[in-house]
Amino acid sequence: MNTPTPRLTPRFTPRLTRPAAALGAAVLAVAMSACGITSSSSSGGSGGSAGGSGGGSAASGSALTVADVAPFSGVDGSLGPIYLATCYGATSAINAAGGVLGHKLACKSVDTRGEPADAVPAVNQMFASTSNLALVIGCTSDEAASVVPIINGRKMVSFCMTGQSEFAHVHYPYFYRLVPPDLEEAYAMVAIAQHLHAKRVALAFGNDIGSQTFVAPALSALKKAGITVATNQTLDLKATTFRTEASAIVQSHPDAILTEALGSADPTLLAEIKQLNNGKVIPIIGTSAAISPAFFKSAAAALGASTFAANFHADNLVTESSGPAYAAFSKALLSQQGKVPGSTGNFTTYLSAPGGVHLYDGINLAALAMIMSKSTTPATYAPDIIKIGNGVSGAQLCYSFAACASALKAGHAIRYEGPGGPTNFDSYHGSPGIFQIDTYSPSGQVNVVGNLSAAQLRALAG
Amino acid sequence: MSLFLAAVGFGLVTAAVLAIAAVGFTLQFGVTDVLNLAYGAVMIAGAFLAYVLNQAGLSVWAALPVVIVACSAGSVLLNSRIYTPFKQRGASPITLVIVSLGVTLIIEFGVQALAGGTSVSYNLAQGPTLRAGGLILTAVQIAIIGVSLVVMAGVHVMLRYSKLGKAMRATAANPALARNCGIRTGRVITTTWAITGAMCGLAGVVFGIDAGSFSPTSTDVFLVLILAAVFLGGPGQAYGAMLGAAVIGIATEVSAAFIAADYKYVVAFVVLLLMLGIRPSGLLGARA
Repeated sequence: MNTPTPRLTPRFTPRLTRPAAALGAAVLAVAMSACGITSSSSSGGSGGSAGGSGGGSAASGSALTVADVAPFSGVDGSLGPIYLATCYGATSAINAAGGVLGHKLACKSVDTRGEPADAVPAVNQMFASTSNLALVIGCTSDEAASVVPIINGRKMVSFCMTGQSEFAHVHYPYFYRLVPPDLEEAYAMVAIAQHLHAKRVALAFGNDIGSQTFVAPALSALKKAGITVATNQTLDLKATTFRTEASAIVQSHPDAILTEALGSADPTLLAEIKQLNNGKVIPIIGTSAAISPAFFKSAAAALGASTFAANFHADNLVTESSGPAYAAFSKALLSQQGKVPGSTGNFTTYLSAPGGVHLYDGINLAALAMIMSKSTTPATYAPDIIKIGNGVSGAQLCYSFAACASALKAGHAIRYEGPGGPTNFDSYHGSPGIFQIDTYSPSGQVNVVGNLSAAQLRALAG
Repeated sequence: MSLFLAAVGFGLVTAAVLAIAAVGFTLQFGVTDVLNLAYGAVMIAGAFLAYVLNQAGLSVWAALPVVIVACSAGSVLLNSRIYTPFKQRGASPITLVIVSLGVTLIIEFGVQALAGGTSVSYNLAQGPTLRAGGLILTAVQIAIIGVSLVVMAGVHVMLRYSKLGKAMRATAANPALARNCGIRTGRVITTTWAITGAMCGLAGVVFGIDAGSFSPTSTDVFLVLILAAVFLGGPGQAYGAMLGAAVIGIATEVSAAFIAADYKYVVAFVVLLLMLGIRPSGLLGARA
């Protein structure tokens, strides 16, 4: 005898006459939630928050704000805290050296969630609510294309961590970057594959703008290097598992995996690959974005710290690991250990994080330009950034804000050289560096195991 | 072919996790009349509670009962302290949906404030990998499928044979009539929140185990999959949610094998839209 199927007929259903309508309402509501909220918070770490809209000259003695416009939540949420740590470090050193023209500097976080749709209102809100805004840092590839025109339009200086190629073709007078175009970083990844003698590689990149920008140049460079593309998987960063993608990678038998899929995507994918590959980890080649305490912590938790460390390489911009510039940088940054909201994992990893190093240099360059121009107004001090970075004839080389500020006050022309090495701004205000190969130790310490010459990268260029 | 079979196997695991969550969600919706979009947030809070206990040295499986009890109690409180007062003030269903969105943000950002924005993983060995034909599953994944089957069987027995199940069905169908028949609908609704909250906690932990690595916002998209499974099966239909979960789980993984992997959820929603176009009330929903 058939018994009727138990049904729970919700009273809600008749009101929304069709389930499709209820579904529509629910999905709309979830989408609203997923779009989420953007947030910004002042971190008084180095002098309290500031007031007044950006672009103008600050009132005497008031604090100047350095805004960290970057993802603090979402899949790339580990990037914002890296930049914030460096902001705390740089501004604390600047404030300890007397500040800038009588002003202390303070840092403020502006969460873009890594989404242009969230970034634009967040930046507009930042301009509306932030007094004495003197500098913007961060602006990753996730949001740079949408926020740089706004920031530039407000005549605000920005040091951005984007490698997007469009910024090498379009001139934004207030935009600066100390990182190379993404295509060069893609070449660096392929050069590491050559270094590891890989004959077949799998590509596994996230479906976000910042990750997808590597794919085309990597494919082109792999072809030039004679390396076979075993499979090319695009990962939905909001997915919770990647078993099928991992299975496709394992079945394609690559010698190495080129990947950038931040958040929980890469750790999940790599753990699933290990599981499907009988416990063996395929060598992983990451981007410089993987050099962060948060990424190491997540990947080490997913694979085991020793296993991950033994199988992971990443390209990274060459940064100094000794010398006066590094000494000043490490002292400034490590003095902020335990004080930076959102920082996690081994704090010393921030010393090698590309954003950390280069944005430290960016903040110092901007602060020194303010002193040189005797103005905190971006439109006035911006041109002096290049003079200080590239140096002028007879410029005195200096390695820290304190030393450079003293030299400026003594009437000397200076050339600042920070832990990111010498700066050479081009006409688009880009100063590409050169690359090194990094690995992790099981404790999360970053080790430099090789360098990639400009000739190596040129040989892979399309 | 082997990739297809592997994808089907992976789809079964996804479906198993989805089924626990979707059946709990649809029971909650069916009986209480609240489309509780904070369900995913409670799930992730449960997953993080298990993580904390796991970090303290407890195995994830041992932490499971604690999480189940906590999420059950939390869901009852959620109803009594937030949704019920709104309902008593005559809030419309769509108002409650918006309230639940607010609760979602509060819970997720609360978890993020406490645990940080980075992803975490359980200390849990996956056990041996078992291969049969093209299927590749770990012992833990098989355990997840087993847990899901036990839960589905339990829900079936409860709804069909227990007094509580009959009372839940009566309350869902017509609460006024149920009250007139002597059913204490208030108590039934509270019990439903407790049971579905427990299922939500269980779903959160198996979600965390299955994902391998998760963050405070990891269930945002998973909630959409839960909704898809629920509405594919027919809202309020426990068996429909099971069927919907199976279809969505397998469709996402199989499509990832043969179409660009980042479109796997798109394929699942195309299936959902086609289905709703043909049967607006869902696979097992009553015809209008």
